[in-house]
Amino acid sequence: MVKNMGLQAEGAGGEPSGTVKELSKYVPEARRKPGELGIAAITFLLGALGYYFALDMTSGEYSSPSVFPKLASIVIMACSAFNFFKAVRREKPEASLTLTGYLLPMDVVVVLVLLVAYCFILPRLHFVASSYAFMVIGMVYLQRGKNIIRALLISAVSLAVLVAVFRYLFLVILP
Amino acid sequence: MEQNLQYFLIPFLSWEMMMLIWVGVFAGIWVGAIPGLSVTMAASLLISFTFSWDLNSALALICGVFVGGVYGGSITAILLNIPGAPAAIATGIEGYPLAQRGEAGKAIGLCTTVSVFASFVGILALSVAAPVIANFSLKFSPRDFFLLAVMGILLIGSIGGGDPIKGITAGAIGVLLSMVGMDPSTGELRYTFGNIYLMAGISFVTAMIGLFGVSEALTQFRNAGKKSPKQNLDRIIPSWTTFLKYLPLSIRSSLLGVFIGALPGTGGDVAALLAYDQAKRTVRHPSRPFGTGAYEGIVAPETANKGAIGGAFIPMLTLGIPGDAVTAIIIGALYIHGLKPGPMLMIETPHLFWMIVSCLSIASVALMVLGLVSVKPFAKIIEIPKEIIMPVVIILSVIGTYAIQNSVVDIFYMIGFGIIGYFLRLYGYATGPMVLGLILGPMLDANYRRAMQGAENQILPFLEGFVTNPISLFLTLSIVFLIVSQTSFYRRWRGLE
Repeated sequence: MVKNMGLQAEGAGGEPSGTVKELSKYVPEARRKPGELGIAAITFLLGALGYYFALDMTSGEYSSPSVFPKLASIVIMACSAFNFFKAVRREKPEASLTLTGYLLPMDVVVVLVLLVAYCFILPRLHFVASSYAFMVIGMVYLQRGKNIIRALLISAVSLAVLVAVFRYLFLVILP
Repeated sequence: MEQNLQYFLIPFLSWEMMMLIWVGVFAGIWVGAIPGLSVTMAASLLISFTFSWDLNSALALICGVFVGGVYGGSITAILLNIPGAPAAIATGIEGYPLAQRGEAGKAIGLCTTVSVFASFVGILALSVAAPVIANFSLKFSPRDFFLLAVMGILLIGSIGGGDPIKGITAGAIGVLLSMVGMDPSTGELRYTFGNIYLMAGISFVTAMIGLFGVSEALTQFRNAGKKSPKQNLDRIIPSWTTFLKYLPLSIRSSLLGVFIGALPGTGGDVAALLAYDQAKRTVRHPSRPFGTGAYEGIVAPETANKGAIGGAFIPMLTLGIPGDAVTAIIIGALYIHGLKPGPMLMIETPHLFWMIVSCLSIASVALMVLGLVSVKPFAKIIEIPKEIIMPVVIILSVIGTYAIQNSVVDIFYMIGFGIIGYFLRLYGYATGPMVLGLILGPMLDANYRRAMQGAENQILPFLEGFVTNPISLFLTLSIVFLIVSQTSFYRRWRGLE
């Protein structure tokens, strides 16, 4: 799974996605991706914070509650430092690739905004109304404003099926 | 013997039990396919209906749901790269590239066939060797469970993809996140920062749905407008030759699944990951390189998690100890119906044992039929344009997450994990190891500390145990072998490179 994740990530960087390439051997890329140093620094910071907060936990024995949190934090810091220096040694990213362009293409930004908005309206409008709005807006945007009627119908039918199956057949409580 | 056979035939002679098994398998397949709606949840929901039923009917339905649910989890892993349950994580590693090649139908067909075979291996082990396996599994000490978890963590090398150091980073982040919450042995709060929601810890199912489901959807939106691959559905049932080709691997992985399933506290998820890793190390000429759609990478985890079904029943029926979450629910149902699972169950109520064996057998046949019938409609899902299917996947992820403990906060966590997973994937940090860390972190922590306490917090007695106890020694040597087998020297020697 992870291997095709790499594939998709690279597809975003210019390689066509969906083609299956040889992934059984790891071949490092010549150039680093925009923000690659930043993500290594963030994971290092996470490890450092993990270790710092583990200092408050009971320690002193080999079976103390702080043993594994500290161990995991040290591993994160060591690996992040390695990732950072490995990325530094690679060539700089292509000038045409900007950090925001690489991380957040417009479609992803819109879906993320929709997701966050969905989270906030879900407790107020409840499941059916907020999910219908999310699906319709998402489908209409991703189809570039075409097939609005189809999006309205597909969203309604999908939601009806989901509610019927989960709420009434399996008695799952919906948000 | 003759009487046992009579007990075995009870479900075959009752149309009601027969129907309930088939209904259970059908419901299990579809519920199991939804991330978050696990087989455990399906069994616990259905069991509440069955309190007023007679025991035979209740068991028939539960066995059907169990078998169908474990299978269903693999379908979405293959089609959408979103495992329905942790036991299907390994299946997606090879299954999704196959779906991208247009071979989803063939992949699900093979998955169904070997799953049925493995179910029967598990049932056979349950009916023939249950007491022996159960007694052996009781000999496992906390140190051995710790070693088993270490073996699991070493799988990061297999499922970590690309860069192994990034895989380890993600795995360690998973372990760190699994420490959040109340320490089960001392009650001490770790990384909760006074937040009441963090006290219960981070559910790995919530994390799994976010890291696989939402991050997959976000990654797909980078390529919105790109057509989904056309699926070839001409030949979905594997030929006899194909089945025989994978038979040795199926037998090995099913037996591994039976054994792991029989260990209390470990289930199909650990079994499937270990089997995938084992296949990756031992198969010399896979159908394609592992990671690009090797059929062996579907056969191994699928047979292991189906073998684990029969395995999970072994300690439950013979010792009264659940092998996994579903058997824990079944134990509850047996108590409600006035029975006491344990060593006396097989002596006092042998009909129950043989009826369960029978129900699981019928469920496996039903899985063959219903699984193969469902291949075409399932495979068609992947041909739906992603602009339509992905918003629906996100809503399904929301339903699945909320259903875990009816908490909107879990939905926030799930989406948060989705966004983290999306960013990590862009930089080649695999999300699989992070989920693995979340699953195995508590097992590592709890068993290491128990073993260390058993050695009175002394390093030397703790280490001595690894070589003086035969089971620990075997597991330690297995770990050494796992590490050595990753070296290029060993791979060249075995002709794997």
